[in-house]
Amino acid sequence: MLLGISWQALLSQIVCFGILLALLVMFAYRPIMRMLDERSNRIKDSMDKAEEIKQEAARAGVMVKEQLDSARKDGQSIVAQAEQLGERLREEAREEAKKEGEAILARAQAEIGRERDEAIDRLRAEFVDLSLMAAEKVIKESLDREKHMRLIEEVLEESGGLRKE
Amino acid sequence: MPKLGCLGWGIIGTLVFVILAVLSMLLFPVPQPEVHLEAETIFGLPFFTNTLFASLLTILVLVVIFFTATRNMKLVPGRWQNVVEWVMEWFLNFCEEAAGRENGRRFFPVVATIFLYVIGAALISLIPGFEVFGYGHAAPPEGVPGAFVGTYHGFIVDVPILKKANTDINFPLALALISFIFVEFMGIRSLGFFRYISRFFSVSELFKGIGELFRGRIRAGLGGIFTGIIEIFVGIIETISEFIRIVSLTFRLFGNMTAGMILLLIICFLVPWVVGVPFYGLEALFGFVQALIFGGLTLVFATIAVTPRAMEE
Repeated sequence: MLLGISWQALLSQIVCFGILLALLVMFAYRPIMRMLDERSNRIKDSMDKAEEIKQEAARAGVMVKEQLDSARKDGQSIVAQAEQLGERLREEAREEAKKEGEAILARAQAEIGRERDEAIDRLRAEFVDLSLMAAEKVIKESLDREKHMRLIEEVLEESGGLRKE
Repeated sequence: MPKLGCLGWGIIGTLVFVILAVLSMLLFPVPQPEVHLEAETIFGLPFFTNTLFASLLTILVLVVIFFTATRNMKLVPGRWQNVVEWVMEWFLNFCEEAAGRENGRRFFPVVATIFLYVIGAALISLIPGFEVFGYGHAAPPEGVPGAFVGTYHGFIVDVPILKKANTDINFPLALALISFIFVEFMGIRSLGFFRYISRFFSVSELFKGIGELFRGRIRAGLGGIFTGIIEIFVGIIETISEFIRIVSLTFRLFGNMTAGMILLLIICFLVPWVVGVPFYGLEALFGFVQALIFGGLTLVFATIAVTPRAMEE
């Protein structure tokens, strides 16, 4: 026949094509298309998720910034309070020190006063002793006024440490 | 030395080729190739031709390729799965671009099978040794006539077991018939029988014109009849072109593949050395192009068939 066309060969080729089509649908097209669709869906999902995560991250960033701001503000106020407190404490300390100093001064003055009084008392006693000694001498030697003066002078000379009193 | 132009290189190439051809004819005399267009039956079976055997081998290879790739599919593909998926995805995109997403997916199995079958049959025949084994006879003891120096003693294959499937007219014709039936089926299924058939037998305008004539509107009636006749004529042309497609699809593939086979045969018999290698590459490219054309045309015809007339214009 013309160019070898024969219905048997034609039919067998059509059957071959049918078999190939069936096998390829089973082994190639169906699984591969399913896989491609699944993969593209998966990619789409992950991209959506990534977008979501990005937005969440942006939100979280804003939140963190706000928290940082408020924390900074808090910190500043705490520092200010602390400074105030410190100032007050220092003031108090200074006040106290001043008071204490005054107290010490007062005590020292009182001490000095007391010691002076004591000294005066001791001096007076000494002086009385001296006077008595002098009086003894006067009585012993019966002196005139000039002699008397000299005597006292002498006595005073003898007890040289009390000159200043 | 003057620079050689295209013509110069062409002349040199031709000269080298001729010298090589003459040399090989002198040194390695072989019997002249004979070209058989018809497929031969083998294994003593009725109707079991060598092209049918090659077709079955092609089917086997294709199925094995896809079976091994999809047997154990993973979401993150291995190398082999990836290659096969890449090819399928490329062709699926090709279909979706030409026919739209929905139609492309509907046409994809048949179109892809045509593509794979044609390219598989074309490429598998380029494997060296494909048409070597077969039934034949021993060369006569006096050697092959026509050689100047040596003689050829050996086995001459008359009927190879495997013959390029595309070169059997029944192969492209079967595909063209399948393509034709597929296109018509798709057209009828998506548009409905009468709507689809009205593309080829459109008489509504003619009847409308006749009706106008009876109502006494001569001018409108004559105009309608004229348009109606043109529409009928266009319908006839459409019908013929629909059937011509079978012939053109068949002979485009058959002619290209047969010419390729003869070209390779002649080149290899002229110069049985490396000269044939580029032609093998060329034939591989032609196999791909023809497969793409056959599949692509089926796709386009199907797309046209499912598109309603009003949208087409």
